[in-house]
Amino acid sequence: MRTFPAWWLPPGVPGRASPAATKPPPHARGAEHPGTAPTAFSTASVSDHLRLRFPTPDPAFARRLCDHLVEAGARLHERRTDSLVASLGRAGARFLDPADPIRKEALDVLPAAAGLSTAMAREVLDGMARDWTADRLARLVRSQFPDTAVLDGFRPGPGGSRVRAFGHRLIVQVGAGNVAGVSVGGVARALLARSPVLLKPGLHDAVLPVLYARALADCDPGLAASLAVLYWPGGADTMEAEVLSRAGLVVVYGGADTVAAVRARLPATTPLVAYSHRVGVALVGRDALATGRADRAALDAARTVATFDQRGCVSPHLFWVEEGGALTPAEWAARLAAAMAALEQDLPAGPTPPEVASRMQQLRGTWELKQAAGEGARVFRPAGAEWTVAYDPDPAFSPSCLGRFAWVKPVPDLERVAGLLAGLRPFLQTAGLCGAGARAASLVEQLGAAGVTRVAPLRRMGWPPAWWHHDGGDPLRALVRWVDWEVEQEPRAPG
Amino acid sequence: MNGTRLRDDLIGVMGAGVGTPLSDADFDDLARRISEQQWERNPVFARFCAARGVQRGSWSSWHALPPVPTRAFRDRGLVSRGPAQAVFRTSGTTGGAAARGEHRVPDLSLYHASLRPNFKAHLLPDGARLPMISLIPSPLEVPDSSLSHMIGVVEAELAAETRYFVDKDGRLEERGLRSALGDAEGAGDPVLVVGTAFAFVHLLDALTARGTRFRLPDGSRVMETGGFKGRSRTVPREELYAAINGRLGIPPRRIVNEYGMTELLSQFYEPVLAGGARLHRPPPWVRTRVLDPATLEPLPPGREGLLCHFDLANLGSVCCVLTEDLGVEPPEVEGHGFRVLGRNPGAEPRGCSLAMDELMTARSGPTL
Repeated sequence: MRTFPAWWLPPGVPGRASPAATKPPPHARGAEHPGTAPTAFSTASVSDHLRLRFPTPDPAFARRLCDHLVEAGARLHERRTDSLVASLGRAGARFLDPADPIRKEALDVLPAAAGLSTAMAREVLDGMARDWTADRLARLVRSQFPDTAVLDGFRPGPGGSRVRAFGHRLIVQVGAGNVAGVSVGGVARALLARSPVLLKPGLHDAVLPVLYARALADCDPGLAASLAVLYWPGGADTMEAEVLSRAGLVVVYGGADTVAAVRARLPATTPLVAYSHRVGVALVGRDALATGRADRAALDAARTVATFDQRGCVSPHLFWVEEGGALTPAEWAARLAAAMAALEQDLPAGPTPPEVASRMQQLRGTWELKQAAGEGARVFRPAGAEWTVAYDPDPAFSPSCLGRFAWVKPVPDLERVAGLLAGLRPFLQTAGLCGAGARAASLVEQLGAAGVTRVAPLRRMGWPPAWWHHDGGDPLRALVRWVDWEVEQEPRAPG
Repeated sequence: MNGTRLRDDLIGVMGAGVGTPLSDADFDDLARRISEQQWERNPVFARFCAARGVQRGSWSSWHALPPVPTRAFRDRGLVSRGPAQAVFRTSGTTGGAAARGEHRVPDLSLYHASLRPNFKAHLLPDGARLPMISLIPSPLEVPDSSLSHMIGVVEAELAAETRYFVDKDGRLEERGLRSALGDAEGAGDPVLVVGTAFAFVHLLDALTARGTRFRLPDGSRVMETGGFKGRSRTVPREELYAAINGRLGIPPRRIVNEYGMTELLSQFYEPVLAGGARLHRPPPWVRTRVLDPATLEPLPPGREGLLCHFDLANLGSVCCVLTEDLGVEPPEVEGHGFRVLGRNPGAEPRGCSLAMDELMTARSGPTL
């Protein structure tokens, strides 16, 4: 079994520091590299092939670490956006360079860490790291700040005022349920927003942020000094309380229980940006069922179900397929099944966690019985297949067990879908849409009103761009603290 | 009548008691006869099995029958249809009535024949007939609970006087219960206390709040069942048993866990009163396998997987039931018991999509 050190600490945190080490050593695999050398370690199994090693939670150390980050972070205020974008982008681009050892290590560890097949891990790394490049980060900044100079200094505001975006003293980012790589984007945004950041990654997303921190330390040690990545297992309450009490802003990715627990622990004055677990759905209109297009839609649909093995909040649980097209919804379900089967060769599923496999068996078996009952239900799943397509004549929303289980349901008209989303509003996120033709604009209006925060073509559902309004919020603006300066008007000199 | 003879044969097997083994050949023969009757009466099940290559004339062994997931009990008419003497329902929580599993039982005599010797062997191995204090609602209050029904049968046939202290909404009648416990302590005669884990937690909280402790007489015993599904407070089992010992004076070695579910008419107990290990033991008319969650292939002892039970008492519905419970058969007791590990022991989510359970929390599962 392999062990991965699931932390990266800036040099020089007092207490456990090893004075000799001031610079992280090169990316020797498994090396305990931080300049700050913790002395006691624990491990946690991620899979049969990988365990994480991490410093045993120590609230006193966490306190010193936070203080150290706050101090280092104060220097971020002096940095210019261009230079931050360049450094962050340079570190990110290494994950796309086939010759770079960082990418190689990422590809080596990611499958076991994230529970993905090797091919899917590569797809995920490519998709994620595309957004870590300087070009994409610069577009993110521009999308959020029409005048990007407000990040670098005071700029003219309305009514003769001046305005500048400041960072927070410390952003604490908690990942407790997100797909691999998401936390790296969060870290880059925090640093762009001029805040030092302490990331507690999820058990299955610890590898990429640690490698990213290493890459950043190589190209811009000063910037990396404002970043720490530290895994600790849930339940280390004192540790968590210590860290949260020092945050200027907390960002959390996780289920309802995690978000509620973090919220309950925060002082009333600490803002929280929460990305809770959500669901995606998809709409397939008549136009997409035409000869020559139906298979394309099925391939795109299959790919989007397979991406992250359907574990993303952007992944669709089901496809509502419009009746009255060249194919019936049930026929299109068969096309989707064929596409899933073909894709399994190129992009196989990772190992299915037992609780997901269990739910999948429950649904598969039940749907096979329903198929036997002859009420129109169909289930597509060849023996040994990792995926399932289930056709259900009842258009009501049904949750998938995930792990590549897609529902297909008929709707007489796509206009009906918004009504079918009632009750799901707090959980909705991405809706895939294809084949709606000229009705697309009015459908998107309806979906938006129903609670959907992103509409995308089926193929791109899994890959929102760096500047997307994740769950309807601002990616960068949500992380800054505006300072308004109403400038005192000097009295005019007499005469 | 063929059907009656089959039922009588099954009742005969059960009547021989849990100590009388049933050979593999005899088990398989009964399974085949039962399946044929089920296929005849339930064409949906017959087509389901045929689609997996098992049908009349192609019988190889009960191992080949496709398991039916507990989830299928939620859809009417898939697994049990026709007239029923009783309809048992799983405990829905927030999913509403539609999400509750339903087990239609055409003939209660098999349920009774199965539960009686099993309960006796594991709770009353000394042949005692004890007063029963029930933290499970009476069958008159909750007629569609298979657990309440079972306790009703125990009340009528195996126990002395029975008193119920939990109502259909799960409320504890605390004052009456304290006085019953006090009376039992004073009388010096052992009692049988039965309840769900959650009801015991309620009781223990109430006693702790008052600082009350009882020392129930030697020979008293507890049957504890069910988990904490959908409940706000969960307590590890060792802690629960220690608290029962502390507040009621019944030591852990006299606390028996019952594992049962609405979808099965037979139950599993830990043979601790007879000095056995803390493992759930199937009666001879049930075969339990641990299956690979991904492939549903049987796993060797020592490997964790999904518990799948083949219960001959389920003549009126389907015998081979796939649960959502993870379990393991310890290698040293091969064929003689399994350990239940629960639904999802401590897994951290790997993604950010809302899981099914979070969206629709009602699941079928252990009774109450």
